[in-house]
Amino acid sequence: MYREFVTVLRREYLRWVRVPIWVASYFVVPILYLVLFGQAFNLNNLFPTGPAGEFYVRQALLGAPNYFSYFAVGMAAFVTLTATLYAGTGILFDKQLGIHQRTVATPAPRTALFAGSLTFRAFMAAWPAFLSLGVAVLFLRVPGLVGLSVRSSVSALGLGEVLLAEALLALMFTAVFLSFGYLLDSNEAYFGITSLLNLPILFTSNAMFPQSTMPAWLQNVTAYNPASLAVNVMRENLFNTSGYPYPPGIYLLGLFAWAAALIGIALYLSARALRVP
Amino acid sequence: MTDAIRTDALGKTYPTGTVAVKDVTLTVRPGEIFGFLGPNGAGKTTTISMLTTVLRPTSGRAEVDGIDVARYPGRVRRRIGLVFQRSTADEVLTGRENLEVAAGLYGLSPAEARPRIRELLDHLDLGDAADRRVRGYSGGMRRRLEIAAGIVHSPRILFLDEPTLGLDPQGRAEFWEFVRDLRRRQELTVFLTTHYLDEADRLADRISIIDHGQLLTTGTPGELKDRLGGDLLVVRPARAGDGIVRVLESIPGIANVDPPAPDGAYRMHVARGESMVPSVVRACDAAGIELATVSARSPSLDDVFLTMTGREYRENADALENGHTHSP
Ligand SMILES: Nc1ncnc2c1ncn2[C@@H]1O[C@H](COP(=O)(O)OP(=O)(O)OP(=O)(O)O)[C@@H](O)[C@H]1O
Ligand SMILES: [Mg+2]
Repeated sequence: MYREFVTVLRREYLRWVRVPIWVASYFVVPILYLVLFGQAFNLNNLFPTGPAGEFYVRQALLGAPNYFSYFAVGMAAFVTLTATLYAGTGILFDKQLGIHQRTVATPAPRTALFAGSLTFRAFMAAWPAFLSLGVAVLFLRVPGLVGLSVRSSVSALGLGEVLLAEALLALMFTAVFLSFGYLLDSNEAYFGITSLLNLPILFTSNAMFPQSTMPAWLQNVTAYNPASLAVNVMRENLFNTSGYPYPPGIYLLGLFAWAAALIGIALYLSARALRVP
Repeated sequence: MTDAIRTDALGKTYPTGTVAVKDVTLTVRPGEIFGFLGPNGAGKTTTISMLTTVLRPTSGRAEVDGIDVARYPGRVRRRIGLVFQRSTADEVLTGRENLEVAAGLYGLSPAEARPRIRELLDHLDLGDAADRRVRGYSGGMRRRLEIAAGIVHSPRILFLDEPTLGLDPQGRAEFWEFVRDLRRRQELTVFLTTHYLDEADRLADRISIIDHGQLLTTGTPGELKDRLGGDLLVVRPARAGDGIVRVLESIPGIANVDPPAPDGAYRMHVARGESMVPSVVRACDAAGIELATVSARSPSLDDVFLTMTGREYRENADALENGHTHSP
């Protein structure tokens, strides 16, 4: 079981490092998004300046010190989502190239194959999020750029929660797109679905915009969106926040529930795809 | 000793209603090279897929190395190697990495796999290309890599689905030599499908011929040809003239002379061709007919197929080579 799992990890890794543009995209995309979106959409500039404006900003952003900081945390979730969009393509190509057929014919345990793909792709979706957060903090030192200011007293437990939230988010989004890889045979269908899901997942979350600015029906959707749950855990831990209805632990429970359900579905679909006709 | 493969009325009807394989019963003995010969669409891939557990039979049963393929697919998979009709290598990985992945999926540790892979790469003449990406491999190199991937875990029984499809004659001859050599080196049974008559004839110890999903006959190539009854005698007179037919038919042992072929040669079935040659020469000499050539040959598998189906095998094979594409 362990050897087969490691074999899948290694194969996925080799396939990744062999494509330089693919590798570069993992580094460039988070930074580019932060620079372009982050600096262009700086909603701070729309608010009145002075103490009254600052008070208003903090209230709307539930304690985040400025819009860029608020946004940069949401961006981590979006970077994760973007990185998982391609998670199912490996399976799709394997099916088309006959590699899937060889895999089916091996005695390798099916769960090991699934776990290998899930682990590698989720890891590859999680680290760019941390890269993105790190770069956002570094922006503080770049003259002319706004940066991510986190509170000075982030606890080790808090960091652990941030890590866990990000990991769960990466796992569940990976599971979603792996599922489509197992389910579908056509590239067009796959990319049709990913482009259909991508922005709606983002815009029904509070990753970019505060929930309080949304209409009531959307607020209800946003509250349960796993991206919102993960972002809530991160913001509550990284900023001196106020106004969140629940502590991070509750949001983490929600994330666990989402992850369990979505990974369960993906596992079922992978077993189905690897079953002998 | 357990049979390497044993099937009993094995059948597959696809959900589309196509009866691809019907009541196939055969036995493959340990250590033999068994050829499964049939034209395009005969049911070769369907049969090999059931034997290798990647397709579920809809009727009958099959045992590989004494294990039921439907009941214990996992145990069967560990004992067999499989080389597909189409390439299954990962293009962006090197040849060696592809083999490492194959070994890993069979549960081999890197320490077990490494020397085995080195040996296979050398043996298959892929040593120099081992660390290059498969993308740059030629067709022959890819085939050899497929085979290496199929035997990296030292299986007891190797299944090959049309292993020489797309290879040139030299590539095919090299491949045959390789399979024989492989069998000499290790205890291995080989089950291979092919639509090339000469491949079945020259490589296989025994063959089955399948057509429209049904097994026509099984035996050594020699037995199958013997069952047709004797040899083919070919007599070509120096000049055209129909007197020769009467002379030939008067020789004891020659019953029926076919009309002459375009090159002027007369063909006839006889019990033992070689021993008829002197009688033919004497009789023609006595009748004053000058002969250009007299030869005896055993019937070919072509003749076997023709007799069993009433169709020329060649037509099918030609259709196959001219733009035939295969879906998985
Ligand atoms: N998945 C499938 N669904 C329905 N029918 C199929 C399927 N696969 C094969 N067939 C049909 O079953 C029959 C046998 O096909 P099979 O692929 O086993 O033949 P084959 O002897 O391997 O031929 P080839 O020389 O073309 O590889 C054919 O009529 C084919 O069209
Ligand atoms: Mg076939």
